[in-house]
Amino acid sequence: MKELFPMKQIMGFVFSLMLTVVALAVYFLNMSFAMGMTILVVTAFIQAAVQLVVFMHAGETKDKGAIYTNVYYGVAIALVTIFGTLLTMIWGYN
Amino acid sequence: MEFFERFAIPHPSAPIYASMVAIALTIVAIIAGLTYFKKWGYLWREWLTTVDHKRIGIMYLISALLMLFRGGVDALMMRAQLAVPDNKLLDAQHYNEVFTTHGVVMIIFMAMPFIMALMNFVVPLQIGARDVAFPRLNALSFWLFFMGAMLFNISFVVGGSPDAGWTSYFPLAGNEFSTSVGSNYYMIAIQIAGLGTLMTGINFITTIFKMRAPGMTLMKMPMFTWSALITNAIIVFAFPVLTVALAMGTMDRLFGTHFFTTNNGGMDMLWANLFWVWGHPEVYILILPAFGIYSEVISTFARRNLYGYKSMVVSMVLISFMSFLVWVHHFFTMGQGALTNSIFSITTMAIAVPTGIKIFNWLFTLYKGKIEITTPMLYALLFIPLFTIGGVTGVMLGMSAADYQYHNTMFLVAHFHMVIIPGVVFAMLAGLTYWWPKMFGFMLNERLGKLAAWVIGISTLVAFMPMFFSGLDGQARRMYTYSASTGFGPLNMISFVGAIGLAVGFAIIVYNVYYSVRYASRDIGADPWNARTLEWATHSPVPEYNFAIVPHVKSAEALWDAKKKRHILFQGDYEKIHMPNNSGVPFIMSSIFFVWGFAMIFSMWAVAIIATIGIFACMAHRSVEIDHGRYISVRKIEETETKLRGAK
Amino acid sequence: MKLDHSLPLEYRTEEGQLKILGFWIFLGAEIMLFGTLFASYFTLVDRVGSGPSGAEIFEITPVLIETLVLLTSSFTIGLGIHAMRLGRKKAMLSFFAITLLLGLAFLGVEIYEFVHYVHIGAGLQTSAFTAILLTTLGTHGLHVTFGLFWGLFILLQVKKRGLTPETANKSFIFSLYWHFLDVVWIFIFSFVYLKGMM
Repeated sequence: MKELFPMKQIMGFVFSLMLTVVALAVYFLNMSFAMGMTILVVTAFIQAAVQLVVFMHAGETKDKGAIYTNVYYGVAIALVTIFGTLLTMIWGYN
Repeated sequence: MEFFERFAIPHPSAPIYASMVAIALTIVAIIAGLTYFKKWGYLWREWLTTVDHKRIGIMYLISALLMLFRGGVDALMMRAQLAVPDNKLLDAQHYNEVFTTHGVVMIIFMAMPFIMALMNFVVPLQIGARDVAFPRLNALSFWLFFMGAMLFNISFVVGGSPDAGWTSYFPLAGNEFSTSVGSNYYMIAIQIAGLGTLMTGINFITTIFKMRAPGMTLMKMPMFTWSALITNAIIVFAFPVLTVALAMGTMDRLFGTHFFTTNNGGMDMLWANLFWVWGHPEVYILILPAFGIYSEVISTFARRNLYGYKSMVVSMVLISFMSFLVWVHHFFTMGQGALTNSIFSITTMAIAVPTGIKIFNWLFTLYKGKIEITTPMLYALLFIPLFTIGGVTGVMLGMSAADYQYHNTMFLVAHFHMVIIPGVVFAMLAGLTYWWPKMFGFMLNERLGKLAAWVIGISTLVAFMPMFFSGLDGQARRMYTYSASTGFGPLNMISFVGAIGLAVGFAIIVYNVYYSVRYASRDIGADPWNARTLEWATHSPVPEYNFAIVPHVKSAEALWDAKKKRHILFQGDYEKIHMPNNSGVPFIMSSIFFVWGFAMIFSMWAVAIIATIGIFACMAHRSVEIDHGRYISVRKIEETETKLRGAK
Repeated sequence: MKLDHSLPLEYRTEEGQLKILGFWIFLGAEIMLFGTLFASYFTLVDRVGSGPSGAEIFEITPVLIETLVLLTSSFTIGLGIHAMRLGRKKAMLSFFAITLLLGLAFLGVEIYEFVHYVHIGAGLQTSAFTAILLTTLGTHGLHVTFGLFWGLFILLQVKKRGLTPETANKSFIFSLYWHFLDVVWIFIFSFVYLKGMM
């Protein structure tokens, strides 16, 4: 039975629950917008990384170069799109 | 009767009725012909169910050429309408529909399948593979594209064409101002074709990463394969943006949401923003494979290794990322502030740098080369100066302060035609001529080919140079007519002459195909151009398994070094070859997509729901199906090889 | 078919390796799909027209339930793949079944949430904000729905055909999909709900 529950995955799960609790602080505690966003950005990206490495086994084969390049590239372009859109449609819009 | 009224054309005219009759007659003729010559079985077994990348490539090619004809007729109609002031050939509504379909057809249903055709045919051969990574997905990609294209093309006889421009800006494309189903066609047909393109992207990246011949490291890949890899990477990350934008547009039109409306919080310019987040990378999706083709053609016919291989690769990688950083230059006049515009002006000028690097690399490859002017080389040599005109005017447009003067004038139209025609169309024609013997086993006539290249090259200048001047004089794009007092008349007349010249050039190419089918020698060997890359190391036309023995590669110019340095490409004995089975599911599933799209366009919900279930049923079938492919025996390979070698 | 026995079952055939890499690239496209939805969401979030804003309609309880359920399902499918690699077919099937049940629970709560929104006057046609909210959540929800059917098909195949290179490959790819949906949900949880209620 024990072999079915590897330590690595249990730790990953516990860690992701903890990150969720930390993120919930922005709801239950009073804090500035900047502080809240910082917490959310940090916890969300760490959570994503935990999923990627612990659960999705992204780095286990010799294709890991291609896989990580693909993911980083996608995230980078998604961020460019999000912030570029915000710059164009809201922040930089007269 | 009421049910059928929705399929009527809102603005009918004699030519449209004539087209209806022509389409009906063509369909009847095709069906009758297939039945009379008993070709239904052949069509189904050899083409509709094929998963062979070469056949899929040829089907893409045929579709692209048909769409080139359709888009070309649109172009001629526009130039004819504008040739003289106050012309009455087309009314405003028809002109709107014609420029809209011209743009969509040429970009999405002509240029895209043309590059898909060449990528499909050439890339697996260049890397020494037996097929693409997912042959059946490849067939699905093609059929989705094909059904999307057909759906779009029936719009002008069933329900009315889209008329809001190929960019389909809201609120013009919204329900308030576009009351016919035309814009529904736009949203749905492009969505279906776009899904196919996305799958192609995934397929080719996997193919190029995982299926290269032994010894071919990434930095030993032929330049066209490199360009295909980068192009498909852009496809994978750009097309989802279009998917989302089209879905939101569809919901606005069909379900009454308020994404792009002008009330209830809707933001019409968000459409423009998302469209160009996809649209600018799309420009590079078209041009990078073209650059790849020029690289192959120039190094082959200058008889030199490509100058600056590494810088070519680096510049393409840079372009792939930077192409996502410049989109706002398509709408500098929207109302965003000076800071935003400046940022995107700078990125726009920066992306000209890697493109410039490539131009210099080609020039240095030509320098001291033993240049042989063949038809593909002629296109490449015409491309460099003409494309440069288009490129530098692009940098002019990229300066946001100056752009307020050029925006939405014929200057812009001249710019992007001078980029796309010499850049993409010449490359496709060069690639077509260059790889034609590999596809069909005979060469196109060189005299006719060169004549066509010259006619098309000169006509491009005649057609589009005047637009730079009329645009600077203030002629707006998309105006269906103008008065004589504007003085635009003579310049537009010159453009019209150029457009006719382009039509003549394409007619010469068609005649060339006919002439060469009849008279060209079939005895051309595997390598008629004395070329450098692996696709020329197998027979022409190519057997279904591509290479009887998997080649071993030692350098970037594998075949050239095999010829000159006596590298041995093929060693060992024949082994049985694993091949994928044909399947009718991609065709059937795409046909259901066609029905789904048609039902969505006309808000026939019951049909749409049934079709949706049908689509998922096809996917479920694929999930439970067991298909291990088939083997070609050694004896069969020996037979084929002997026969093909005997033909030499 | 060539087999490489040094690798886990799902990687053993060349075709299997191609499919896994291909699916990763597809996930790259999915990142962009949801990235675009987020870009649109952030643009339209304050454009509520005459409708309600996020702070007025979001409730923490259903959101927390959805988050915990989905996080747990991501954990259980990870255990399922682990069991698969140990060759424990029964354990794997149980973990997959639990995962799908959790997915179903998630979907139930989300449907309740949607009905609630429509009920309090935040329907698809209310404003740009409600449209992009329901579209973003709905796109994720449709992915989960699709995943439920897909997972069920795979579960039945493993049950019937046993653990072969093909079924293992399908199961592994499905687990990638499921984990990815969890990642997307984390971003929705953080930047749609928590940011909206902050």
